[in-house]
Amino acid sequence: MSQESNNAPHDVLLRLEAVDKTFTMGEVEVLAARRVSLDIRAAELLVMVGPSGSGKTTLLNLVGGLDSPSAGRLFFRNREMTAWSQAELTQYRRDSVGFVFQFYNLVPNLTAVENVMVATELSRDPMDPLDALTKVGLAERADHFPAQLSGGEQQRVSIARAIAKNPELLLCDEPTGALDFETGKRVLRLLVDLRNEFGTTIVVITHNTAIAGAADRVVHLRSGEITELERNERPLPPEEIVW
Amino acid sequence: MSILNRKLVRELRDSWGMLLAIVSIIAVGVACFVAMGSSYGNLQRSKQDYYDQCRMPDFWIDLKKAPLAEIEALGSVPGVAAIRPRIRFAATISLPDVTKPLNAMVLSMPDRREPVLADIVLRQGGYFTDRRENEVIVNDAFARHHNLAPGDWIHLVLNNRREELFIVGTAIASEFAYLLGPGAIVPDPEHFGVFYLKRTYAEGVFDFDGAANEVIGRLAGTNEAERAVHEARVLQHAERLLQPYGVIATTPLAEQVSNQYLAQEIEGLRIFALFMPAVFLAVAALVLNVLLSRLADQQRMVVGTLKALGYSNAQVFVHFLKFGTTVGVIGGLTGCAAGYWLADAMTEIYREFFEFPNLVSHFFVGLHGTGLAISIACAVVGSLRGTRAVLRLEPAAAMRPKPPRQGGAVLLERLGWLWTRLSSGWRIVVRSTVRSHTRTAAGVFAAAMGSAVLVSGFMMAKATDYLVDFQFRWIQRSDVDLVFKDERDADALDEARRLPAVDAAEPVLNAAGTFYHGHREKKGGITGLLPGARLTVPRDRQARAVRIPAAGLAMSRTLADILDVQPGQSVTFRPAKGLRRERQVPVVEIADSYMGTAVYADIHYLSRLIGEEFAISGVQLAVDPRPMQVDALYRELRELPALQGIHSRHDLIAKIQETVIEHMAVFIGFLVLFAGVVFFGSILNASLVSLAERQRELATLRVLGYGPWQIGSLMLRESLIVTLAGTLLGMPLGYLLTVLMALAYESEMFRFPVVSGPDVYLATLVLGLVFTLLAHLFVQRSIHQTDWLEALQAKE
Repeated sequence: MSQESNNAPHDVLLRLEAVDKTFTMGEVEVLAARRVSLDIRAAELLVMVGPSGSGKTTLLNLVGGLDSPSAGRLFFRNREMTAWSQAELTQYRRDSVGFVFQFYNLVPNLTAVENVMVATELSRDPMDPLDALTKVGLAERADHFPAQLSGGEQQRVSIARAIAKNPELLLCDEPTGALDFETGKRVLRLLVDLRNEFGTTIVVITHNTAIAGAADRVVHLRSGEITELERNERPLPPEEIVW
Repeated sequence: MSILNRKLVRELRDSWGMLLAIVSIIAVGVACFVAMGSSYGNLQRSKQDYYDQCRMPDFWIDLKKAPLAEIEALGSVPGVAAIRPRIRFAATISLPDVTKPLNAMVLSMPDRREPVLADIVLRQGGYFTDRRENEVIVNDAFARHHNLAPGDWIHLVLNNRREELFIVGTAIASEFAYLLGPGAIVPDPEHFGVFYLKRTYAEGVFDFDGAANEVIGRLAGTNEAERAVHEARVLQHAERLLQPYGVIATTPLAEQVSNQYLAQEIEGLRIFALFMPAVFLAVAALVLNVLLSRLADQQRMVVGTLKALGYSNAQVFVHFLKFGTTVGVIGGLTGCAAGYWLADAMTEIYREFFEFPNLVSHFFVGLHGTGLAISIACAVVGSLRGTRAVLRLEPAAAMRPKPPRQGGAVLLERLGWLWTRLSSGWRIVVRSTVRSHTRTAAGVFAAAMGSAVLVSGFMMAKATDYLVDFQFRWIQRSDVDLVFKDERDADALDEARRLPAVDAAEPVLNAAGTFYHGHREKKGGITGLLPGARLTVPRDRQARAVRIPAAGLAMSRTLADILDVQPGQSVTFRPAKGLRRERQVPVVEIADSYMGTAVYADIHYLSRLIGEEFAISGVQLAVDPRPMQVDALYRELRELPALQGIHSRHDLIAKIQETVIEHMAVFIGFLVLFAGVVFFGSILNASLVSLAERQRELATLRVLGYGPWQIGSLMLRESLIVTLAGTLLGMPLGYLLTVLMALAYESEMFRFPVVSGPDVYLATLVLGLVFTLLAHLFVQRSIHQTDWLEALQAKE
């Protein structure tokens, strides 16, 4: 079978074809993704919603090249990711993807700016780490260690780290989950601006359905399956969203 | 500095306690390696230089008396490069303010300075002059001890006459690098010296015109292997040639006393330089493995994130490896510095035992480089497992919390009756010990190594004591031994009995000769004793007295093994002196001894064997120990010119005590320190790792009402189980190690007894427990300092 997918539409950045993912937890097998097929279009803000255990994070990890599917195929710009070597996957994560983790995943003994530098040091054309922190409103906390930052601040460092390398694809796992209402909205605004300004493709997973209002498209997940794919004709500006 | 390196530096700083433990273990290993290796190099190099400088002979042949013309013939035997005949006698020395007996070996040297075999290295003054006949060069150590200098006069009893000699110089010589008096095992330069006389003077004073009683020679060949080819053949040839003149002993270089001690020391260093570091570095690698596994485990999330951000496996791997490498570099450098210092100290000690012209501590670049490389290699090996385990995970899996460890029942739980009697605390302890099997195994291994090192150290100390007791208190029981220049009759014994302070006197007859059994032969001698002698008592392995047979020999096991003879069989003995008639002699008893290859016989039987009625060559005395009495005896003995040697057993033991046993104490001190580092380091590391791993579990216990001391008690119980198991396992290992070392050191001249006892094992156990408790103090402090609320909230 050809590694190229010729019939992919022009604006598709990433395609999932009948993707399965099974985890073995001790003696139990868990099917976290079940025959998921989905196109992620360039420069869209895609929100995936679903209750916990619905397979949101699993899909995000597969898309980000952090995990490999048990069955099915993934394509990035028409190139089959599932055929990539570890080195190619590493290169993909390094050059094309930015991650915002649910639990921030900051390196505890590095300061905020150093945590951003962890990403920029690898990147070919990164932002200045301090600029990235300024964008998330944390310039004055640059020299604080994670333990000295609040949850919201840590999340913003995590976002700064993700955007600092100017990725094509930004993957956010519950980016507002640990934040208060106002900070959450600011973070959302940041993401929308990023999409508007740089054309970054953004995938956000959340169980906060209100956020879906700002999305171009919304994917509903349950038990590892897509139950509904919704197109948002008029996305709301983040300021108008209430939760 | 790159960000990851910054992270590394902070991590190193944060875990300094655990790192210190590992760094010390590595440092001890490398220090041992460098110290022993350097000492080996120092001794080996000095020995080679010294041997070359003095033209060290390859063989020595002791004769009764042979004309120079006959000896010259030996020079043309194929395989012989050079020979030198010389005159060698034992003598006594009298110094005006010394009452104790002083013994001398007198050797002839050419009247004029010329390059000769077994040359001397002058330290003070000069060589003989033409001004006097009776000039003497004294060995340097004896001169130093008695403040003798060129220009002084000294009295020696030579050939039954008291001679006055003029000191022209002091010197050292390679054949006496380790200078032992008769019967001694440590140098005693205060009571024994070597004196070099002009050849013409020696010929005159000993009635040896145109004759000599010793030949020394060098073999042809540029290296040891070539010379070894000639050795046996040349010595056989020489013996045939000189047979008519009474060959008392032929000694190849390998059996020459000074060379043998030196070679043994050098070989011992080589063994230690390989073995000791291996133990410590293996322990360090294991302990590092435990720590790095924990560290990598703890950083699963970080590893996952780094990979998610696009760091390659290689980059993450190198980052973690740097952690181990840094430990290796710090440990290696510390070890090299400590090792160099130790080598210097060891060389200082060697200067006390060995007389070298130039024994200094060299800096061996290659050795330090190797030490550093080994320590880094061991650190890297120790880091590999833990690092690899995390790298194998996909980034997403690495970021997920580690699945709970399998919590099945441990074996002990199947013993229902025992398990139900254990408190919940003990159950936690047992389960934790069993389930973290790698950590437990590393701890047990470390404790076993520490314990083995302690056991073998203590056994060596015990062996030294035992050897001294066995040899100088149980076998040799006389206080003073007198050696006559010539064999005497029973009158000499009566004379000795009449000396002041003498409680008892027993005769001794020493007859040198050759034993033959089948195709085997061995030079040696027989010591004749009175039946039921009390001042020399041959012993068996259990230190029980061995009966001296009325007819036949009580032979040392070592010689019996060499000759392959069993009790009841006979050997042929040909005396080196007298009629030299070969006789068949039955071996009746086997005696044990840790030194030499003694053979005992009834003195009457031995006298007849060498064709005499009743001959004695020496007398052993039991003496009233009061100093006044002993002094009176010594004063009287000084007036007896017929004595070739006067040996005090007390002086001998005192000297051994002073040197060997004191140095043994230093040696044991170091071993205890090193073993302590191993126990302490491994326990501290294991406990701190365990503490970090189980923060949440222990925090829960705190919430349930456990106090810090109770938590500490759980940790302590785990440590004690590990220490106890390891220490017990290490004990037979230590015993085995001692046996192997005794075998490695075994020679005809010297055997190391393997002695252990409850005190050895008890001391090891107590020390193991003490080190464990010391390490636990740090662990307990850490428990008190932990913020448990935070630990409870932290997510793994």
